Amino acid sequence: MAFDNENRENPWKKKDAPPDIEEVVRRLKSVFGGSGASLAIIIVVGLTVLGLFSAVYQIETGAVGVVQRFGEYIYTVENGLHIKLPFGIDTVTKVRNAEVVSEEFGMRTVQAGVRTQYASGRQYQNESLMLTGDLNCVLVPWVVQYTRSDPYKYLFKVRDVRGTLHDISEAIMRRVVGDRSINEVITERRGIAVAAKRELQKALDEAETGIQVVNLELKKTTVPEPVQPSFNEVNQALQEKEKMILQANEAYYKVIPAARGDAERMVTDAEGYALERINRATGDANRFIALLREYNKAKDVTRRRLYLEAMGEVIPRLGTKYVLDPDQQGLLPLLDLGRKGGK
Amino acid sequence: MKQIFGIIVAALILVVLVGQPFYTVDERDQALILQFGKPVGVETEPGLKFKLPFIQKVKTFPKILLEWDGDPGQIPTKDKTFISIDTFARWRIKDPLTFFRAVRTENAAQEKLDAIIDAATYDYITSHNLIEAVRTSNRSMKVEEMISVGLPEKARQQVEISMGREKMTRGILEQIAPKMVQLGIEIEDFRIKRINYVAEVQKKVYERMIAERRQISEKFRSEGQGQSKRIEGERQKELRKIKSEAYRTAEETKGTADAEAIKIYANAFNRDPEFYSFINTLAIYKESLDESTNIIMSTKSEFFKYLKNYKKQ
Repeated sequence: MAFDNENRENPWKKKDAPPDIEEVVRRLKSVFGGSGASLAIIIVVGLTVLGLFSAVYQIETGAVGVVQRFGEYIYTVENGLHIKLPFGIDTVTKVRNAEVVSEEFGMRTVQAGVRTQYASGRQYQNESLMLTGDLNCVLVPWVVQYTRSDPYKYLFKVRDVRGTLHDISEAIMRRVVGDRSINEVITERRGIAVAAKRELQKALDEAETGIQVVNLELKKTTVPEPVQPSFNEVNQALQEKEKMILQANEAYYKVIPAARGDAERMVTDAEGYALERINRATGDANRFIALLREYNKAKDVTRRRLYLEAMGEVIPRLGTKYVLDPDQQGLLPLLDLGRKGGK
Repeated sequence: MKQIFGIIVAALILVVLVGQPFYTVDERDQALILQFGKPVGVETEPGLKFKLPFIQKVKTFPKILLEWDGDPGQIPTKDKTFISIDTFARWRIKDPLTFFRAVRTENAAQEKLDAIIDAATYDYITSHNLIEAVRTSNRSMKVEEMISVGLPEKARQQVEISMGREKMTRGILEQIAPKMVQLGIEIEDFRIKRINYVAEVQKKVYERMIAERRQISEKFRSEGQGQSKRIEGERQKELRKIKSEAYRTAEETKGTADAEAIKIYANAFNRDPEFYSFINTLAIYKESLDESTNIIMSTKSEFFKYLKNYKKQ
């Protein structure tokens, strides 16, 4: 039949075909005579042209074409210009396999239209509200970035890949968070992201979604709004604590080095005293020894001399002097001992 | 001749258009062949297929993995906490024939799954403590040590997890699997998506969390005070230590020097103690006796012995 088609097509093609359809019909009618036959020919020619057009298709960069013949998968083509069987025998589905797609959980940047595709219909916060292992509530928003790395599986193994990703991702994030305390969830986000990514990929592979998780990132984890002030208070208290410690340290360092200085001075003073004491003692002793040495040479006369020198110095200075002869009696009451000073 | 050919062509066209001997099965689908409404065969392979025209009809079912979203609603746990739970499953039509007989449509399947899985979930949740559904392992968590408020739920500390979420979902899956066989369905995966407290419980949990944080705040504050006091004490101690050590060293140094001095003096003066007291006494006389001193001296004294007598005695 195809051969036939070409034969019939040729005479028409050789002529300068005007754009006017009616003109074409008229000419065809004149060539073939019968009105029914010419109509059939028009249809056949039209279909052929259409078929040629529908047989050629283009796959742009970053995508692949998955080709099905009568519904059965036959092959996947890379980007470029390709030919397939027309009239719906072969169908091509383009999958942008290189594109990195982001799915956001518990954040409001997602458009409502996109979100409502998914079953629950609850609010965004409900996506990120979860229970920790110590049965506290916490908000964990996150982003999953993925590529459709296996277009065959992506198309033919799971009906709602995006919904599956959403569900599995939520389930796994909650499982990971469910095994951690609230403190860990707030402070150790990195570990959670790593664990969740690993488990998510495993689950997605098991479900044959054909999805490769490129990145899983936790956004700011917080506690629900009613609880937030009390968490801020904890931070404040922590700062206060640090401040108090700093102040105490400040007082410490203000006093202690000065006290050390004082102490050193005290010790140095004592050392000075010791030096002085010994020097003086040695001096005194040496002086005495020198004196003694000479004294020993002429004991009696030196003794007399020293005595008299001293007396000579002392006696003239004295105030009232009485010289009594103990042989005389009754003189004592005459003395006016109360009088001060000498004459 | 031409007419006969025309009739044959027309008949063929009629068979193809109306009788539909050809049908296609998509990669994602499987087909059930019905003869007068009675299933006679199953086609699971995709591609172009042939059936008897007019008599046989084809009913396609998805072969691909399908989604199910459960909503068992509010469930009390064994420890009497009301939670709302959200589950999902992935399932597929394993046996189209059984499926067609028992369920017929996908919507009907969803309803049956609702009934079976939600009931199993309800059973499992009500017969276990909340913590079993939340946690998966006995992994030890880092918690604030001082948390003691609202501890009636023992779950808050490091509890032994006997079941855990993973085992629980597997248990539910095992429980429902036989019922699924009867429906021609296979459940690939069942998971708990969300567990949350119901509103009233939520409020109480928030209150508890707030109380807990307050306690932690107070702990930090008192820790700050404690540390500050400790440093202050340290300062006092250090101060006293420095001062007293200095005093001790100073006194010891002085004492050693004094002792040394005594030794030096003794060594010197011991050579002639009498001479020592003689010259020192004289020195004291010189220093201490002045014009305010009145003196009565005897002519019998050594000093005045010449006053009455010049002769040598």
